[in-house]
Amino acid sequence: MIEGKLVDLRPFEMSDLDDDWRWVNDREFTRYVSMRYPVPRLAEEEWLRARTSQFPAYGEQRFAIETKDGRHIGNCSLFDVRPADRVAELGIGIGEKDCWSRGYGTDAVITLTRWGFEEMDLRRVFLTVYDFNVRGRKAYAKAGFVEEGCLRKAIYREGRRVDLVIMGALRDEFFALHGAPPAAVEEVAR
Amino acid sequence: MIEGRLVNLRAQEFSDLDRFYAWINDPDVTRFLDARYPVAREAEEAWARDRASSMMSYTNVHFAIETKDGVHIGSVNFHKISPENRTGRLGIMIGDKAYWSRGYGTDAITTFCRFGFEEMDLARIDLTVDAENARAIACYRKAGFVEEARLRQDRYRRGAAADTLVMGLLREEFDALDRA
Repeated sequence: MIEGKLVDLRPFEMSDLDDDWRWVNDREFTRYVSMRYPVPRLAEEEWLRARTSQFPAYGEQRFAIETKDGRHIGNCSLFDVRPADRVAELGIGIGEKDCWSRGYGTDAVITLTRWGFEEMDLRRVFLTVYDFNVRGRKAYAKAGFVEEGCLRKAIYREGRRVDLVIMGALRDEFFALHGAPPAAVEEVAR
Repeated sequence: MIEGRLVNLRAQEFSDLDRFYAWINDPDVTRFLDARYPVAREAEEAWARDRASSMMSYTNVHFAIETKDGVHIGSVNFHKISPENRTGRLGIMIGDKAYWSRGYGTDAITTFCRFGFEEMDLARIDLTVDAENARAIACYRKAGFVEEARLRQDRYRRGAAADTLVMGLLREEFDALDRA
């Protein structure tokens, strides 16, 4: 369990299936993420089983987001991790819509990004977000991600072409904003 | 065969192997590419055989670049083709260094983009390039690509982190340039 201020991140479990399947078929949710097609329950189940039956590894980290009272409200991940460059892409979705705009997403992004820097020794974490996703862009900015550019008309959704914004967080910047890890504590010799 | 002004684009053949093998192990060529590790001949052979024995299709487009007198000088391809978004990411390599800075790369890109727009109905083509690869950036600009993003510290090579630029070209921009 990785503890944030408002949320905790924990591994996926098969018992997340009902929530996950509901979210990936909720178009108010999927309009902001790269998922476009309705997902059959069995396909979602197989996808989840593939991830819950394996130990997590460097290349892909996926977590369920829980509020402090244990409610599963979304998922987040670091994926396409490139070890030689020490770069990872971040993805997040808050599926429970009553939890939008309440700081949970921002805290999850901060917690996951800090974890990537402190436990995986990443140098850079980046994400992409649709231009019209103002709530998302605000949350990422608050978490310390900087807009690095905009891929013009890179996405087609809802009958129109949409710009794709790229945002990045660098390790040093992030620690300056949110606090660096404490200096190494000397272990007491017994 | 797809005809450009200085170059033609054709399917990659297995007989291209010797040149690909030399290029992919030439540090001058791979310096700014994603190719980080030396490539064994057998591995390159498997790759070349795979390329030469698969039909091209919407998500599998890769050409050899030849001069008008038939000299194989490089390759160009789309990766990350998205049919819904109608976007493709372009990758190019001029492996034969004698043909650098002479307009062959620019013509290959223009010819390839014309194929992407006019035969595959793409709406947008983009590419990524090491921010310090000035020759390539100049070439992409000449072909009409516009700098859209600077990914800070995105790549690590030769002892330092470097930025990556994303450059994009829209169909309507290409058409305006191509008709001019």
